[in-house]
Amino acid sequence: MFLTLVRRVVYTIPILFGVSLVCFALVHIAPGDPLSSVLPPDASVDLQRMLRTIYGFDRSYPEQFGLWLWRAVQGDLGTSIASGRPVTLEVMKAVANTLRLAVVATAIGFFFGSLFGFVAGYFRDSLVDKAASGLAVLGVSVPHYWLGMVLVIVFSSQLGWLPATGAGPGGSDEWAWDWEHFSHMLLPALTMSVIPMGIVARTVRALVADILSQDFVTGLRAKGLTEVGVFRHVVKNAAPTALAVMGLQLGYLLGGSILIETVFSWPGTGFLLNSAIFQRDLPLLQGTILVLALFFVVLNLAVDVLQSALDPRVQRS
Amino acid sequence: MTSRSLTALCFGLALGTSLTTAALAQEKTLRVGMTAADIPRTLGQPDQGFEGNRFTGIPIYDSLTQWDLSKEKEPSILIPGVATEWKVSDADKTKWVFKLRPGVKFHDGSDFNADAVVWNVQKVLDKSAPHFDPSQVGVTASRMPTLRSARKIDDSTVELTTSEPDSFLPINLTNLFMASPAHWNAKLQAVPASVTDAAERAKQAWAAFAADPSGSGPFRVTRFVTRERLELAKNATYWDEKRRPKVDRVVLLPLPEANARTAALLGGQVDWIEAPSPDAIAQIKSRGFTIYQNAQPHVWPWQLSFVEGSPWLDKRVRHAANLCVNRGELKELLAGQMAEPKGTVGPTHPWWGNPKFDIKYDPAAAKKLMQEAGFSASKPLKVKVQTSASGSGQMQPIPMNEFVQQNLKDCFFDVELDVIEWNTLFTNWRQGAKDPSARGSNAINVSFAAMDPFFAMVRFTWTKAFPPVSNNWGYFGNDEFDKLIADARNTFDDKGRDAALAKLHARIVEEAPFVWIAHDVGPRAMSPKVKGVVQPQSWFIDIATMSLD
Amino acid sequence: MAVGAEVPALDATVPTTPVAGYWTSVWRRLRRDPVAIAAALVLIAIVLMAIFAPYVAPADPYRSSMLRRLRPMGTPGFPLGSDELGRDMLTRLIYGARLSLFMGVTPVVLAFGIGSAIGIFAGYLGGRINTLVMRTIDVFYAFPSVLLAVALSGALGAGLGNAMLSLTIVFIPPIARVAEAVTTQMRSRDFVEAARASGAGALTIIRVHILGNVLGPIFVYATSLISVSMILASGLSFLGLGTRPPDPEWGLMLNTLRTAIYVQPWVAALPGLMIFITSISFNMLSDGLRSAMDVKQ
Repeated sequence: MFLTLVRRVVYTIPILFGVSLVCFALVHIAPGDPLSSVLPPDASVDLQRMLRTIYGFDRSYPEQFGLWLWRAVQGDLGTSIASGRPVTLEVMKAVANTLRLAVVATAIGFFFGSLFGFVAGYFRDSLVDKAASGLAVLGVSVPHYWLGMVLVIVFSSQLGWLPATGAGPGGSDEWAWDWEHFSHMLLPALTMSVIPMGIVARTVRALVADILSQDFVTGLRAKGLTEVGVFRHVVKNAAPTALAVMGLQLGYLLGGSILIETVFSWPGTGFLLNSAIFQRDLPLLQGTILVLALFFVVLNLAVDVLQSALDPRVQRS
Repeated sequence: MTSRSLTALCFGLALGTSLTTAALAQEKTLRVGMTAADIPRTLGQPDQGFEGNRFTGIPIYDSLTQWDLSKEKEPSILIPGVATEWKVSDADKTKWVFKLRPGVKFHDGSDFNADAVVWNVQKVLDKSAPHFDPSQVGVTASRMPTLRSARKIDDSTVELTTSEPDSFLPINLTNLFMASPAHWNAKLQAVPASVTDAAERAKQAWAAFAADPSGSGPFRVTRFVTRERLELAKNATYWDEKRRPKVDRVVLLPLPEANARTAALLGGQVDWIEAPSPDAIAQIKSRGFTIYQNAQPHVWPWQLSFVEGSPWLDKRVRHAANLCVNRGELKELLAGQMAEPKGTVGPTHPWWGNPKFDIKYDPAAAKKLMQEAGFSASKPLKVKVQTSASGSGQMQPIPMNEFVQQNLKDCFFDVELDVIEWNTLFTNWRQGAKDPSARGSNAINVSFAAMDPFFAMVRFTWTKAFPPVSNNWGYFGNDEFDKLIADARNTFDDKGRDAALAKLHARIVEEAPFVWIAHDVGPRAMSPKVKGVVQPQSWFIDIATMSLD
Repeated sequence: MAVGAEVPALDATVPTTPVAGYWTSVWRRLRRDPVAIAAALVLIAIVLMAIFAPYVAPADPYRSSMLRRLRPMGTPGFPLGSDELGRDMLTRLIYGARLSLFMGVTPVVLAFGIGSAIGIFAGYLGGRINTLVMRTIDVFYAFPSVLLAVALSGALGAGLGNAMLSLTIVFIPPIARVAEAVTTQMRSRDFVEAARASGAGALTIIRVHILGNVLGPIFVYATSLISVSMILASGLSFLGLGTRPPDPEWGLMLNTLRTAIYVQPWVAALPGLMIFITSISFNMLSDGLRSAMDVKQ
């Protein structure tokens, strides 16, 4: 098993390299001037050329890539053109903010998703199943950013119960797990949780239905095992896969939070990405995408390894 | 503890707390929601366009000259900033002498003097200076194209040199903000010795300066949470008594999404938002908030092509188009969110010039002109306009263009619209009407700021501003206009220069290389608790005069 | 988003030998599922509406009138109200079905074709080719789908074509992975081994033995991606990276009607409702298909 683990880790290295290559390529395919955030369009040609040299954009692509990768490996992701601050700092701060949000959203989604999924799977093919499945599917069928906007209008503009934007009254610097800060997180987390809720519900439903329909469960019941016992048995068997799915969902939320964060002005990686894309801030864009993808790869790896450890029946190539 | 001392302690605590809360409650904080997606740069030369100047330029820093933001009904003109007077040298028109205001101090306590001015000019113009910052060059140099260097004469006098005689220099200097050299040098000292490369040291010093800036303005920065909030506190010892702030603190928040901004205002999270979405304005007003707006030096036109074969070469056609737009009705459709133009500037502006062509809605006169030019309902004139679906300053481009399209139909114009992406449109603007990117269009709809003479008029009517040098997209220009421009550039007393610019403006309106359609009004929504708000005819607004109930 | 979360367990869904009667039994089971039937009917209605839009819609989807903007539902001439440029909502919603369905279905169809091909060949050929191909796919799979879609669209620029392209690229890796997993399992079956031993060529074996068995599960997985594709596409429009105005597309309409929520909230909500109905129908149908194909009841 240790060997498998080592092999998996080794396999990730070429993937990481590939990811950084794709990341670099993506960002440089984009039309538009990378210096547009510091250079107004009516700047003279000489000015453009001078800044281009200073920022290193006159070098060849392989050279730029190599330089960037070499520095990235040492932890230096360059400097944001628009803000002048080190990319690493900006990204890490944003990741912390998104992680907070994503963890809460995943927890909410996992809780309700498991609840609905379990109920649906337990009472499979009945009306209850349809109702619970329906509720879960609701989550993945509505554009969640739009749901967010509606919630903002209802709860912030009209009712005034919850704040509309931001990450806390003093900004995310002084985060604390108290109501004042949590109230800022509630709406975005709820909005974000609908997708993991849907996925987890589906998965749990399938798992529960599958486990319950297996012959040995009937056998267990025949032997006199109470429903509580059956319940515990189901949970034990469903847990590894369900947790794996939850882990993956956390990864997706981490990388896919751009829409929600734009609506709520939550200062996370999605918000950062939005700015970076529209300002064509190449170093920031490259750095953010790279860090997010890395997180995702590592998270996938961790989930895989954990799942293999928890459930040896699961075979991975 | 005895019960008496306990009671005393409790009483003391309660009193202390209530006093503190009372003190805190007395502190007035103005919270602002900006449209920018990030806090504009705080190191002196803001980015994010004019919103940057508005919030992290003027409040924190001073410039040698500034715009008068105290009047609503009169145009915003140039007044002394931290320079009290300026004069061009009679012998050499490329040399200007500026006298500096005495007694001005930076937030860190150091003095503002000629050395500081020279230092600030070098930060964007002298590549060999240790504090040269390439990231600030872009936004600054293009707004002061002729400035070359500065030289100290004595502690309160400075000489600025331009590359050629340019009377517009004082106006351009509103864009150069004075940062504190002493404070920057302290930041440079604080950069760890392990960093040896000079350029890298300067870069880190500027980054540290941006996090803890020092200017001489009415507000100073107290807290900066990157991308989330900027907190300013009042500078009680500001040199201009009239502009010493009446609020204690200002908090700036980036809220790029329009609905989020509106929700933040309605929900009480902020006291002031920039650019509320027009559709939300009715709701905002009905909830008791105030909408401030005023005509801005902003022009929303069709810029016409004078390339051979263009349908706009006949002056009668150009006049007809200007007379056939029902600007009053357009204003109604935009819920009042525009001002009706009479030219690039308005009749009360020093550059007005009394043009003989009166821009108004007169379809009968327009039809007559078109008929004289040989067009009729059965024989309309085909024109093609390139525009975008959105963009900064473009207001509501599609409905507005379609409205004009409908209007002009009545005057025998057959208008075709070519809608492209904003960034592409902006780039095409530089390429010109002869370039394939124009796709056969003979008019382009790009809005622009009209605060200084070059940006308002010269770049559209000068033969030296033909593409790709600048934005004379339609290749409009001739000897007469070149001479008017040269006159204005070479008239160095303010009144004379304004008179020359007025002549230029009058001729521009008469020759009509534009169809003038609207001025933006820069709406902002504020809580009724905010008092003392003056919205001048400018892109900027003075926070220092505002107070909170 | 939901991409790639579940690889169907082949054992449960596919019989050991391909049986013609299998599909008939699937169809029979499907017919007895009222929810799936209802979903299918709704989808058929929407598709028909999209195809016959010019005949069904009462007005011109592009004709705007600033004087009649943001009218409420039930205004004469505007049964479902008018949008922010005074265009009839009912017409725009009907025409919007075309672009929205197109943006939802096309990337998935294209990705289904390309991804299945890649996955099946990699799965069948095995060995080093499999490793090479799948590791390359993994590089793209390493990006969360929303991130990849936004980054690609940001790189390529706004527009229908570019959005299609980026969404297709986003969906190829998960489909390829499913195809490869399913094919690998299939490949080790007795009858496939027998066919190989008897000297049949790779293409023949794939065509005769494998395709029929693997396309089913891959197809079911792909249908679950359609709603994801629709929502992703609308998200791209929301960010300004997808379809451009004035084309009617539900996601874009949601975006441009955003600020109209303060004036006509119900009208502004309509495109969201359409996306929701279509999405949920696709999801329910996909679920029903999956249940019907699941032999173990």
